[in-house]
Amino acid sequence: MSALRTEEFIVNMGPHHPSTHGVCRLMLTMDGEKIVAIEPYIGYLHRSLEKICENRTYHQCIPILDRFEYVTAMSCNYTFALAAEKLAQVEVPERAEYLRVIMLELNRIASHLIFFGTTAMDLGALTPFLYALRERELIMDLFEMTCGQRLTYNYIRIGGVSKDIPAEFVPKCREAIKIIDGKVDEYMALLNGNPIWKARTIGVGYLSPELAVAYGVSGPVLRASGVKYDIRRDDPYSIYDRFDFEIPCRENGDVFDRYMLRLDEIKQSIRIIEQALDGLPEGEIKGKVSLKFKPPAGEVYSRVENSRGELGVYILSDGSDKPVRVKTRGGSYSQLQALPHFGAGGLIADLVAIFASLDIIMPEVDR
Amino acid sequence: MTVEQLKEYIAGKYPVMMTPLDTGRYDPVYEVKSGQLLEIARALRDDENLKFDFLCNLGATDTGERFEAVYSLASITKKLRLDFKVILPYEGAKIDSVQEIWPGANWFEREMWELYGIDVKNHGNLKRFLLPDDWDQGHPMRKNWDAPDFVRFPEL
Repeated sequence: MSALRTEEFIVNMGPHHPSTHGVCRLMLTMDGEKIVAIEPYIGYLHRSLEKICENRTYHQCIPILDRFEYVTAMSCNYTFALAAEKLAQVEVPERAEYLRVIMLELNRIASHLIFFGTTAMDLGALTPFLYALRERELIMDLFEMTCGQRLTYNYIRIGGVSKDIPAEFVPKCREAIKIIDGKVDEYMALLNGNPIWKARTIGVGYLSPELAVAYGVSGPVLRASGVKYDIRRDDPYSIYDRFDFEIPCRENGDVFDRYMLRLDEIKQSIRIIEQALDGLPEGEIKGKVSLKFKPPAGEVYSRVENSRGELGVYILSDGSDKPVRVKTRGGSYSQLQALPHFGAGGLIADLVAIFASLDIIMPEVDR
Repeated sequence: MTVEQLKEYIAGKYPVMMTPLDTGRYDPVYEVKSGQLLEIARALRDDENLKFDFLCNLGATDTGERFEAVYSLASITKKLRLDFKVILPYEGAKIDSVQEIWPGANWFEREMWELYGIDVKNHGNLKRFLLPDDWDQGHPMRKNWDAPDFVRFPEL
């Protein structure tokens, strides 16, 4: 009897697959149940934000870049404002810096909560998603109270922030982070002892530190692989050098470590917010920045630690009121690029876990 | 190493091949000739005191007269930052791929090729990427590219 003829075949995952968090399409070459090769196809969400920015004044760029990475829009606002402030050497008032740090860290917590919920949901646990969104709502309320928006804030402006916080913000914020602090322990209790959760995550999707650095992987994914690099600590911006916090780092580089690392980061963000609320000074919230903001000719690359890794904005200015070039760099871009080099070899179900653990969102990749 | 020390170190080690540009206000910016790109890139990564092993960003720019490819580097172990750029002519722009040094350059270079029309030598994967597969309307990030519905904002 002749042997059975076998051949590799191609499975198209996405662009509308529920676990691809947007519209990413992965072409999977399969050998039976095993994935042999992955090829990502992107561009379904390309809105040419960079080209649009070239045709806008600096102030008008900020609401455009809100749409670049909308889960943590505060970081996008901030990175662009930071680059423009570096170019024009604008002084930012003390109170504005504190408000920025509070907002950035609240936004990081909100983003990690989304990560926690969607990752668990992708692996078949629906309840954590409901819990995570319940806690995220507390943060969304704080943002809405401050700037009227829940997703695209347009809050951090060149030279400061757009509005001062209302009087009830500080007590509500303290209450919210206290609740979230307790809930994070609950999340861990909910999942970490679960044998199904452990079987799906521990040892799955190992990313070596060498590969991570070579492909420009940054943020929580890099730190879960054992590389202790956080821009807040190693290339400090704003006033992060005044706060006492730890950089969580883990060794195994698998899905479980990437998940745990983000929960640890929520705890550290809470520490930063507490210190910032204690030290919040009175005073101005916006520096002297003209509406006809014209930075001198020059170029600058600013980068901040976002919840998805390094978020960078490069601006080239020729001295006019519009930038010549705005180049954005998001963490998801490099993470997705590295995926084919460590994600293959397992089952499709494992790929869903790996993809979720990278916390990729597509608008940041496609721009 | 502080920023000042980094500038001194570079000036001492690569006095001819890396020309400092004074436009950078915070992190040092240099110009590198396109013929020496690979040599400099490898030297920056392998230098024991620099170890620029992390490619943060790579993007092309169209200034209206020329192209510039800007490389933003970081060093994970030495905590340093540095930018350098390669200036390319408008006609027949060509640049070497730096994938053998930083594999993560792959997508950035693909984007450069697609949106600016800069040819990347030894890339191996120059396929349509952000734009639709059947795109035939040129390179949209170039300054002289105009779409019918593209309205230029007036000067304030």
